[in-house]
Amino acid sequence: MDTSTVARAPHVHPEPTSFVWKYLFSTDHKVIAKQFLWVGLFFLAFGGTLAMMIRWQWAFPGEKVPVLGIFLERAGGMITPATYQSIFTMHGLIMIFWAITPILIGCFGNYTIPLQIGAQDMAFPRLNLMSFWTFVISAVLIVASFFVQLGTAAAGWTTYAPLSTNVGTPGPGQTLVGLAIFVTGVATIMGGINYVTTVIRLRAPGMTWMRMPLSVWGLWLTAVLNVLFVPVLGSAALLLTLDRLFGTQFFVAGAAGVKGGGDPILFQHLFWIFGHPEVYILILPAWGMISDIIPMFSRKPAYWYAGTVWAMVAVTVLSAVVYGHHMFLTGMNPLLGKGFMTFTLIISVPAEVLFLNWLHTMWKGSNRFPTPMLFSVGTVFVFGLGGLTGLYLGTIATDIYLHDTMWVVGHFHLTMAAAAFLGSFAGLYYWFPKMFGRQYNETLGKVHFWGSVTFITLVFTGQLIVGFAGQQRRLYDPYQYTFLQHLLSANRLTSYAAFLLAAFQVPFIYNFLRSVFAGAKAEQNPWEATTIEWTHAASPPPHYNYNPIPTIVRGPHELANPEVKKATGRDWAGQAEELPSGGEQAPQTAVPQGA
Amino acid sequence: MKLQRILTASWKPLAAGALALSTVALAAVQPETGIGLPRDVSLHGHLSDWLTNVTHVFNIILFTIMCVWMGIACFKHGRAHQAEYDLGDDKRSIKIALMLSAVIFVVVDGNLFVNAINDIDNAYWNFDEVDQNPATVRIEVNAHQWAWDGRYAGKDGRFNTEDDVLVWNDFKVPEDTPVYFQLASTDVIHSFYLPNFRAKMDAVPGQVNHMWIQARQGTQGDYDIGCAQHCGTHHYKMKGQLSVLSKDEYQKWLNEASVNGLRAFDATDGAAHWGWDWKKF
Repeated sequence: MDTSTVARAPHVHPEPTSFVWKYLFSTDHKVIAKQFLWVGLFFLAFGGTLAMMIRWQWAFPGEKVPVLGIFLERAGGMITPATYQSIFTMHGLIMIFWAITPILIGCFGNYTIPLQIGAQDMAFPRLNLMSFWTFVISAVLIVASFFVQLGTAAAGWTTYAPLSTNVGTPGPGQTLVGLAIFVTGVATIMGGINYVTTVIRLRAPGMTWMRMPLSVWGLWLTAVLNVLFVPVLGSAALLLTLDRLFGTQFFVAGAAGVKGGGDPILFQHLFWIFGHPEVYILILPAWGMISDIIPMFSRKPAYWYAGTVWAMVAVTVLSAVVYGHHMFLTGMNPLLGKGFMTFTLIISVPAEVLFLNWLHTMWKGSNRFPTPMLFSVGTVFVFGLGGLTGLYLGTIATDIYLHDTMWVVGHFHLTMAAAAFLGSFAGLYYWFPKMFGRQYNETLGKVHFWGSVTFITLVFTGQLIVGFAGQQRRLYDPYQYTFLQHLLSANRLTSYAAFLLAAFQVPFIYNFLRSVFAGAKAEQNPWEATTIEWTHAASPPPHYNYNPIPTIVRGPHELANPEVKKATGRDWAGQAEELPSGGEQAPQTAVPQGA
Repeated sequence: MKLQRILTASWKPLAAGALALSTVALAAVQPETGIGLPRDVSLHGHLSDWLTNVTHVFNIILFTIMCVWMGIACFKHGRAHQAEYDLGDDKRSIKIALMLSAVIFVVVDGNLFVNAINDIDNAYWNFDEVDQNPATVRIEVNAHQWAWDGRYAGKDGRFNTEDDVLVWNDFKVPEDTPVYFQLASTDVIHSFYLPNFRAKMDAVPGQVNHMWIQARQGTQGDYDIGCAQHCGTHHYKMKGQLSVLSKDEYQKWLNEASVNGLRAFDATDGAAHWGWDWKKF
């Protein structure tokens, strides 16, 4: 069925030429992707700076903060307990909703979905435009919250009630942040609806579900989860705002053992029904992207493609029924706890399939290691550590001790932060030539990789170690406790690793900015990749991507096939490339350009 | 197959290495020095410690295999190596992948699952025996920003009466005796955390939660009580102390405190009457 004609025929507008319509209020998915990227990178730096302040506090509690102390003038350059809780709260929220989400989903979702499935744009380009600018409004709210009386939010990124109600955080900062979460949720839902529809409706002829690149699978499943579960977060944020502004009592309970009023645990249910899918929302795109990138640089098809697809689908389904493991110690009925524990452990099966497939793809390949491949292998490495350390937390008996300790922090940073961060960079370096039409500097990219992977692993392993020794999360000064005093040196070493991790982002910033504006011109297909954004679109792709729309004749990773080698002399064949003789029976519409 | 040979050959040194590493980790369990679990003084803490350490061994083995596998692929199957055209979707490959996943799942997750169910049913969350044991010490804990209020029933054995013993961040319990806590909170959510007992439970406003511990014989001493749930600005200072006393010392302390409690009782002090009738679960 030629669904592409639906998008092609009636709505072709000329390419805008004025700055405002071309770069600010564009409906072109490629421009919107870059907009998300710039904002996301800005907030990544912002959230990272906050992380450095937390690390400083744990290494040198109560001492003057060098350099960043200028932001803490009123406290004499030191972090106070009140400021500290705002810092870790905003570090979490900003990294999740304003850094990783826009980069992984806003940027790569927008950029790769239409290009990889052979669409000329998103299904709803104007909704896409609105999604970005709604996101900008939420970003303004979040930045504004830093400037109001009593400061910004301070109830942790999880925003647990009643601490997040007027009982615990009376200032307007927490209200603004609650609204910002609601507004960014609206933006995410708009994007999600767009991605889901685009993948269902606008695949090029021949692009069956099981021929889609794995990046598209990961991003599509993420979009499905977003559409289903972000509304739950939105409702929680809205009810909390009502509690804060209009005196309702959804989440405020009576004192001590007295019933009455609302239920604080209800907030946790609403939060984690969203919150657990959210961790998969943030990792599925990275899984998908590295599942595409590894084959391209192993010069070998993705091992058991269908297994990877179904494993990701299984994780998506299961992600909705495991959230209770965040709440084992809230007084949850033990039977319910056991149910959640069972589902949580089951989720390790599809995860194992993914790992085996990545390893098998590299095995007996012809592996080469430019920066995107290095970052992909790094992602597998840190996600391996992160996944294994989660076993203890999904199991009630071991979670009782480790719950709410730095072990949890180390575990989820290895998965959501390290793997999502390295996965994002894998994607960014991989598609950089396509996005900007220029090549980045390979040496600087490698320096960035080795610095990042080394120190990101050390930072989060350091957190695991002090968590194993019992250190709780979110302590302004852990050394108040007798049983934690000996951990100062471990925490300090971890902080040094964090500072070095930050330092190793400098080569990236330089490389990125320089290459965007002055890098060497990139070829159409520098990686000899097989998917159509490389084989059938220039770098960068023109307005409306493809004309005519290519017809897909095979799966996404046709590499190392001896038949192809015989026919073309190359070790690869594009998804829409018809071979000169024999092999595939391709329809006659495909016109390969990059061959 | 070459891979199989490598895996079989490296099995023994891998397991030995993992065991050595975990022995080092276990040896580090000293009274709050070095890196490792804090000293365990509880009757049942060893259960979760064992489960944690065994899972460490499994995880170290799995992670090492992953790294070795990936490392060999990186170094031996480099640019010069001819890539093998292998889609991995033939029946045999799928069977191997699924079997491997199933084996890992049954061994690692299965071990966790079976032991966790046993541990919580028979130890950590087994409240029936504790409830029926006449020796059990019962304590109500009311958390608030940023301290732990404690209440012992006193001579009459009932809570919220005038001979209650009230403590503030300073709990006393006898050794070798079950101690049954019921927890609530006045303001926000806190979490009552006893690292040396491997015990933790949230204190939530509007509901009563429960947990129990037992100090082993001969573990007299002072142990930290922490708050594990972020509860506001001074969360880090919400620190209490749990002192394990010999049974005689404990009885002596309780008798004295009970007399003092009766003397200090003030019927008009509403804030001091936060207790509740001991709850049946």
